Amino acid sequence: MKVSLTLNGEPRQIEVEPYRSLLDMLRNEAGLTGTKKGCDVGDCGACTVLVDGKPLNSCLMLGVEAQGCEVLTIEGIQPAPDRLHPLQESFMRLGGAQCGFCTPGMIMMALALLEENPHPTEDEIRFGIAGNICRCTGYTRIVEAIQACVKK
Amino acid sequence: MSEFSVIGGSVARPDMPGKVTGRAQYAGDLALPGMLHAKTKRSTVAHARIKRIDASRARAYPGVKAVLTHLDVPRVLHYGSPHPRSASCTKDQYILDSKVRYWGESVAVVAAVSEEIAEEALDLIEVEYEELPAALSVEQALASGAPRIHDLRADNLVVDPVTVRRGDVEKGFAEADLVIEGTYRMGRPTPAYMEPNVCVSQWSEGRLTMWISTQTPFMVRGILAEVLGLPLTKVRVLVDHMGGGFGAKQDLFQSEFLCALLAQQTGRPVRMEYTRKETFLGGRSRHPGTVWLKQGFRKDGTLTARQARVVFNSGAYGSHAPGVTAVGTAALTSLYRCENVLLEGQAVYTNTPIAGAYRGYGVVQTYYALDIQMDEAAGRTFSQPAELKLKNAVREGDLAPSAHPIVGHGLESCIRRGMQEVDWPRKKAPSTGGIRRGWGMGCEMHGSSAYPGIKEQGNATVRMNDDGTAQLFTGATGLGTGAHTALAQIVAEEMGLRFEDVSVVAGDTDVVPWDIGAFASHTTYMGGRAAQMAAAEVKKQMLVIAAEALEAAAADLEVRQGVISVKGSDRRLSVRDAVLPKKGLPTAQLIASATYTPTKSYSFAAHFVEVQVDTETGQIDVLQVVPVHELGKVIHPVAAAGQIEGGIQQGIGHTLTEDYITDPVTGRSLNAGFVDYKMPLSMDMPPIRTIMLETAPDPGGPYGAKGVGEDPIIAIGPAIANAVYDAIGVRFRHYPITPEDVLNGLRAKRA
Repeated sequence: MKVSLTLNGEPRQIEVEPYRSLLDMLRNEAGLTGTKKGCDVGDCGACTVLVDGKPLNSCLMLGVEAQGCEVLTIEGIQPAPDRLHPLQESFMRLGGAQCGFCTPGMIMMALALLEENPHPTEDEIRFGIAGNICRCTGYTRIVEAIQACVKK
Repeated sequence: MSEFSVIGGSVARPDMPGKVTGRAQYAGDLALPGMLHAKTKRSTVAHARIKRIDASRARAYPGVKAVLTHLDVPRVLHYGSPHPRSASCTKDQYILDSKVRYWGESVAVVAAVSEEIAEEALDLIEVEYEELPAALSVEQALASGAPRIHDLRADNLVVDPVTVRRGDVEKGFAEADLVIEGTYRMGRPTPAYMEPNVCVSQWSEGRLTMWISTQTPFMVRGILAEVLGLPLTKVRVLVDHMGGGFGAKQDLFQSEFLCALLAQQTGRPVRMEYTRKETFLGGRSRHPGTVWLKQGFRKDGTLTARQARVVFNSGAYGSHAPGVTAVGTAALTSLYRCENVLLEGQAVYTNTPIAGAYRGYGVVQTYYALDIQMDEAAGRTFSQPAELKLKNAVREGDLAPSAHPIVGHGLESCIRRGMQEVDWPRKKAPSTGGIRRGWGMGCEMHGSSAYPGIKEQGNATVRMNDDGTAQLFTGATGLGTGAHTALAQIVAEEMGLRFEDVSVVAGDTDVVPWDIGAFASHTTYMGGRAAQMAAAEVKKQMLVIAAEALEAAAADLEVRQGVISVKGSDRRLSVRDAVLPKKGLPTAQLIASATYTPTKSYSFAAHFVEVQVDTETGQIDVLQVVPVHELGKVIHPVAAAGQIEGGIQQGIGHTLTEDYITDPVTGRSLNAGFVDYKMPLSMDMPPIRTIMLETAPDPGGPYGAKGVGEDPIIAIGPAIANAVYDAIGVRFRHYPITPEDVLNGLRAKRA
C-alpha cells in the first residue's frame, strides 16, 4: 500500500506492506535507521518518534496508520545539517549516551517532554522518560542532559 | 600546568555525534541488496531427543529460500565462547544437535525474503520429540540417578571442581573466638543490553563477511573458520557501533554459524536478528548459585579462617562456567585479608537457559555472600561494619586472587573516603509510619584482564600521517563504554599530540591487529598500554626527524599539544611541520606496533547506600548511593563515572527485582521480556554521587590506569542488603530481595 505522509518535514510517498509497523517502515522502506528496534513490543522506547507532535513507540503503530501524519524522527531534528539540536549537544557533552542504542528514542521523548512542559522538575523529567529504557547510564546523566536544555 | 594535557579530561567522544543523530551504524542497520531474513525455531521441551524433524512444508512455502535442521549442518563439537588456549570455556556445543537441553534452544532456522515469511515458515516445521527426564535445578542435576545432560560427563559437572587452599583453615577456626556461617542464594539476572543480538552474513568468492554485534570479533572469526573449515583469510568480521554487551556478547549464539550457512546455501546475504524474547531464550544470563560461607574471627575482629563452597548453575551448556567458577571462587581468597582459606567451586549443568559471562563474572555472587557476612560479623563483634571491613581490608603486598601482590592500599582509601563523605556511622533517620530507613556499605575488588585464566595479549599499531595526525589501529571493540576515546587520549598524550589529531581505526578483522576481545575490564588497561607503547615508539621516530630540523639532540626535545620544543630554549616546531613532506624528500613512514602481555591489576570500591523500606508493602527504594572507586588513573572522567553509574543501575536491578525465571516443572521460560523481567527505570534510580580516587596506580596500566567496567556492579548488591538490615533488622542472604521476602521476613521477625 502507498502511504503519504510528511516525514521530517518533507512530503513522502512510501510503499509499505499493510502489516508492517511504522518502525519497520521507517527503517526498511524509508532507510531511516536512526530509530532503533530494542523490543518491537512497546516495552523499551528505543523506537520513539513523534507523530503529529506526540511521542509514541513506532513499533506499536502500523506504517499505513501514518497516512496524512507528520512524522519526526531523530534524523529530522537538527536545525541545519552542520548544527545539532541543543538536546543532541547536551547528551554528547554531559555523557547522556553510552552505547547509544536508546539515545535516539530518548532524545525524541525528551523533545516531546520539553515541548509539552518547558520547565519540568527533575521528577517530571524522570517520569517523562520512564518508558525509555537505558541499560548503560543509570539515567543520572540523561536527566542532567535534559535539565541542561530547560530554558532558564 | 598539569602533568598531562589530554588524559584526565573529558574530551568530546568521537563516537557521540553519530549516536545522537542516529547516523551511527549498528550491525542491524545494514541492508544489502537481495538480503534474506532468518528466523529460529526453538524447542518447546526442556530435555529431549529429536525423533523426527520434517522441514519439507517449510521449504515449499513461497518466499522461503533455505531451511536448516541438525540434519543439514556440519556436526562439529565446538567451544561456546572460543577464548584461545583458555581454561575459561567449555567445548560442548554443536551448531544444531539432535538433542535439546533446555526450553527455547534452537532446533531449526529458516531464511526467507521477509521476516514475516520466515516466521510463518517456522510453524510448518514439524518436530517430534522423545522427551527425557529433565534436571531443572542444581539439586536435581546432582541427585543420584539424575538425567545425563551431556554425553561427555555423567556427573553433570561442567568441569572438575576448583579448589583453592591457603594456610590451614582448621587451625584458623581453632583460633577463632567467633565463627559465623551461612548459605547465600543468587537468582538469575541477565545483561539485557538494548541492542538485540544481530548478524549479517555474505559470501563472495568463497569468502565470508560477517557484520555482527560482538565483543570478540577475532574469536568470532576464529571459531567460524574452525567450525566451517575455512582458513582465517576467508573470514572477515566487522563490528561498528554496538548497543551494549556487558560480557554476554563474548559468546557465540549458534546464530552466527547458522546465518553463515544460510547465506552460503542461498548465495544471498542473510540477516539474523534476535527478537527481544530470543535475547533471553538464546542469550546468556549470570550464573544463579549458592555460596555456603563460614568465617572465624578473633574478638578484636581479625579474620582467622574462611571456608566456602560455591555452586553455580551453568544451565544447558558450559559457556563460561569454568572461568566464572574459577574467578568467583578465587575471589574469596581476598577483599578481606585472611591467611587460612579453603574454597571449593563447582559448576553444574541443568536443563535451564545458558549462563555465561556477565559483568562481574562470578564475583558478584561470591562477594555478595562475603560482604553480607562481614556485616553480620560486625554485629556480633561489637564493631561498625565499616570499621570491621577497614580492619580486614586487603592492603599493599597481600596476595590477590591471581596470586599477585596487591599494589597500593586501594580498598582502604575507598572505605575511608566513603566514611568521610557520608559521615559514617550514620545515625538512623527517624521512621515515619511504616517507612524505615537505613544505611549500608559494601566493598569489592576486581581484576583488569582475565589472567591467570587466560594469558592475554593487547596489540596496537600507531601510524603517523604526513600532516602530523596519527591513527591508532586497534582490535578492541567499542561496546559503548568510550574505550576508543580513552585509547586515543592515551596515544595523544604519549605522542604529545592534540586529542583531535588522533583517530581510531577499529572493527575490521582484515585490517586491525589481532585482539582478544573487549571484556574483563581490560581494554583501557591492556589495550591502552599496548597503544601507549606503540605511540612511544612512533614518537621516537618523529623526534629523530624533528631533532635534525631543530638542530638539537632528540633527547632534548619535548612535545605537547602538537608542538615540539627544545628544552630550555624558545626553539620550537609543530609536529606537522616536522613530518610534512619536503621538496625532493619522500614522506617518512612513521609506524610502530606493540604487543603487551599483562598480568593483572586490581581496582577497588566501597559503596555507601541509603534505602527506605515500606514495612506495609515490602517495597525497598534506594534513596542515594555514594560509590567510591579507586582506579589508578582516570583517563576520561565522564566515561569512567558513566560506567560506575550504569553498573550501579544493573546492580540495583539484580539485588531487588531482576530474575529471569523458568517454570520449575516444565522448564519453560516465564518472563522473557521487559514487562515481566523488571529492571530499574528512570523513576527507580536514586541520585548517585560518584567519587573516583587515584591512590593506587598500577605500573601495568597506561599512566597507572586500571579497569572500571565490572567493579560497580559488585559492591552495590551487598551494600543494599546491609542497608535493608539496618532499616528493618531482617537479614536477607539472597537476591533478588522482593517485597514478598520483606513482608515474610518482617512477619518471621515479629514471630
